[in-house]
Amino acid sequence: MLTAHSVAISIVSSIIHPPPTALTSQSISSCLPKLIPGSKTRRRTEKARVFTQSPTLAVLSDPHVLLLAETLEDSLQSSSSAPLPPLQKLRDISAQSLLLTPWPSRKDEPFRFTDTSFIKNSHIEPISPSKSRSLASLPVLSDTLLPLNVTILDGYVVDSLSQLSELPDGVFVGGLSSITSEATMKRVSECVPNFQGDLFWLLNGVGAPDIIVIYVPEGCRVESPLHLKYFSLKGSEKDSKTLPISNPRVLVLVEKGGEIGIVEEYTGVDGTDMCYWANSVMEIVIGNGAKVSHSYIQTQSLGAAHIKWTSVRQESTSIYELTEVSTGGKLSRHNLHVQQVGPETVTELSTFHLSIGDQIQDLHSKLVLDHPRGVSRQLHKCIVAHSLGQAVFDGNVQVNRDAQQTDAGQLTRSLLLKPRATVNVKPNLQIIADDVKCSHGAAISDLEDDQLFYFQARGIDIEAARKALIISFAAEVIGRFPNTSVQKKVEGLIRKLLDPTIPSG
Amino acid sequence: MALFTPNLSFNTFTYNSSLFTLPATRRRFIRCPRSLKLRASLAVDSPSTSATGRGGAAELLLEVKDLSAVITESKQPVLKGVNLTVREGEVHAVMGKNGSGKSTFVKVLVGHPDYEITGGSITYKGQDLLEMEPEERAVAGMFMSFQSPVEIPGVSNIDFLNMAYNARRRKLGQPELGPIEFYGYIAPKLELVNMKVDLLNRNVNEGFSGGEKKRNEILQLVVLGADLAILDEIDSGLDVDALRDVAKAVNGLLTPKNSVLMITHYLRLLEFIAPTYIHIMENGRIVKTGDISIAKVLEKEGYKAISGT
Ligand SMILES: Nc1ncnc2c1ncn2[C@@H]1O[C@H](COP(=O)(O)OP(=O)(O)OP(=O)(O)O)[C@@H](O)[C@H]1O
Ligand SMILES: [Mg+2]
Repeated sequence: MLTAHSVAISIVSSIIHPPPTALTSQSISSCLPKLIPGSKTRRRTEKARVFTQSPTLAVLSDPHVLLLAETLEDSLQSSSSAPLPPLQKLRDISAQSLLLTPWPSRKDEPFRFTDTSFIKNSHIEPISPSKSRSLASLPVLSDTLLPLNVTILDGYVVDSLSQLSELPDGVFVGGLSSITSEATMKRVSECVPNFQGDLFWLLNGVGAPDIIVIYVPEGCRVESPLHLKYFSLKGSEKDSKTLPISNPRVLVLVEKGGEIGIVEEYTGVDGTDMCYWANSVMEIVIGNGAKVSHSYIQTQSLGAAHIKWTSVRQESTSIYELTEVSTGGKLSRHNLHVQQVGPETVTELSTFHLSIGDQIQDLHSKLVLDHPRGVSRQLHKCIVAHSLGQAVFDGNVQVNRDAQQTDAGQLTRSLLLKPRATVNVKPNLQIIADDVKCSHGAAISDLEDDQLFYFQARGIDIEAARKALIISFAAEVIGRFPNTSVQKKVEGLIRKLLDPTIPSG
Repeated sequence: MALFTPNLSFNTFTYNSSLFTLPATRRRFIRCPRSLKLRASLAVDSPSTSATGRGGAAELLLEVKDLSAVITESKQPVLKGVNLTVREGEVHAVMGKNGSGKSTFVKVLVGHPDYEITGGSITYKGQDLLEMEPEERAVAGMFMSFQSPVEIPGVSNIDFLNMAYNARRRKLGQPELGPIEFYGYIAPKLELVNMKVDLLNRNVNEGFSGGEKKRNEILQLVVLGADLAILDEIDSGLDVDALRDVAKAVNGLLTPKNSVLMITHYLRLLEFIAPTYIHIMENGRIVKTGDISIAKVLEKEGYKAISGT
């Protein structure tokens, strides 16, 4: 996929050298600000025209994508000040690539099993920042699981609902515009973006209102985990074919020897089948010997689209641990990309997906090892407990030529609890280095009869036995959340979700 | 059952630790008065049970008639007309060659889905056992310790025991015990079977040694109690001390009311837990029934000496 991408990009730069007059900056236009040092004051309508009229672009661009990108861009034009350089850079790069990125179809390998037409066929509405002062009165918002927390409403940070007073000196958490240290700003500029993903990644790059930066300076250990509470407040009715979109974007930058725990939690606020689209990106850069432990909990409404990117760069001897539990969304996809950029890194990925309704849970992970003596462990589990439920796992681990003495393990287990429930798993290890230790396995099953009988033989009825076995299946991943309050919360949640859907016998 | 109510747990422990002073070869009728005495001192809620002595008047507990069964999947016959009667207070041992159907027989008793009954009947406490779900049989006081207990990753041993214990409490109309109360209840029982505390927090049987699995089965028996304890090769894989611990725990559970049906290949267990009857199973049938002397002949001369055919 990466190769395909770079090819596409190189084509772009060679063909989009159109007559200077046809292009303006700052439009999705903005795609070309670097090519044209033109005026920044052109009107929207002209830009739009540029796109639809340029014959070259018309051939390469997907009009649907262009329209969407423009809608996003327009929604941001209203905000007064010009974006700060890192954000501008992100928007430019994203816009440029968007021109050549069509909406993915089932014919594209990464979307073979994941139908995104639900999003494509909806009317997408950008959400402007919530002005309501009475936000604090929403009980879910004031619920604090962890002492350090940031509330992100429909993609916008709400300072009044965030608690950051206990941050150690030198640690920064906030929007780009609040960064006061020049050095920090410089590092952020260097790191954004650390990667380039698919259409959804690019749309986020164009539509993100800000970059929320989490900066941990050299040698600094942040003791208590930082809770990022993402709420989707705005939603449309079921069947309204309208999806309000939010594009939260976070950069986590941990310098040499630093350490932090991040808990990302995504929830809807109203009702269980509100419709919206959360299109979120987190980029993580982990310096030498630094460590990030990342907890990710996704319990969006069952009417939502939730597309999430996590891209991680690991320098030498750094540690990245991800623990994920995803249960929400009508369409939920996590794209996880981990790139090793130095030797002796440790990467541990533990994920659990649950489909209890007519929904898709999708994990696309890619781990690229290019340096010696890396260790990676991946465990992916999923349960599909509904006959219209679906789970998708594409787990790619690349052990390249220089990644000698790599120790890579990958295991996936799926539990199908209803007839016609489906799972598509594609675990794949690509090993080019020769001196490596790699293992992988994939199993799809129902509950073990012998285990069920053991419960019954001790007087426990079959329903309770099934439930215990299902919970235990999930518990292996839940138990890996480093924080016990997070563990408890998630376990309670899973129990509650599974209760009414435990199939009878 | 009364013995295993929680308010008695601490007594039960002291009682058991002093119990196993019997010479190994003592027969049941000698031991009986002792257990009666002990029971009388303990069973505060049901003194009447101590009045039931052994002898011909004991009630029927289990009656198996002409039982035949096949393997569900292949329809291959395994049991071919088993007859067995167990009365309250009796200890029965079933012996027989490998593959003769012993485990199948007891698994059928507890309702294992691998087997299908094709003929005969089983009556337990006057009820048609075959009409009962496996979990109903269990809460009705039937307990089988498995020859090879299954591992259950992800479920902690203590949670499992707690669930099982509460299922029984519910059946008895008693309040369930929360995790902390339950720990208080079982902690003393661990010593009874000489089991390490950390095995409680491990997943059920996962990574347990052979002996640890057997001790764990017996711990479950001690915690849950049983009117009919069915022990499938509880002695295999146990070291000498473990065998003694297990036998001691089982003897501690014996009352004039409850019964044991055990499968073994060795005389040694029978010297610890003295049987009232020994049955020899061959090719899916009980072909011979007698007393301890059968086991002694067997030990010396092998199955050819007592073959039913
Ligand atoms: N679930 C099953 N599937 C296939 N064959 C089975 C099954 N259960 C029992 N059998 C077969 O039925 C026969 C009796 O088995 P069983 O386990 O009852 O023997 P056993 O008397 O307990 O032997 P052992 O002394 O070795 O424990 C054996 O031939 C066994 O292979
Ligand atoms: Mg057997």
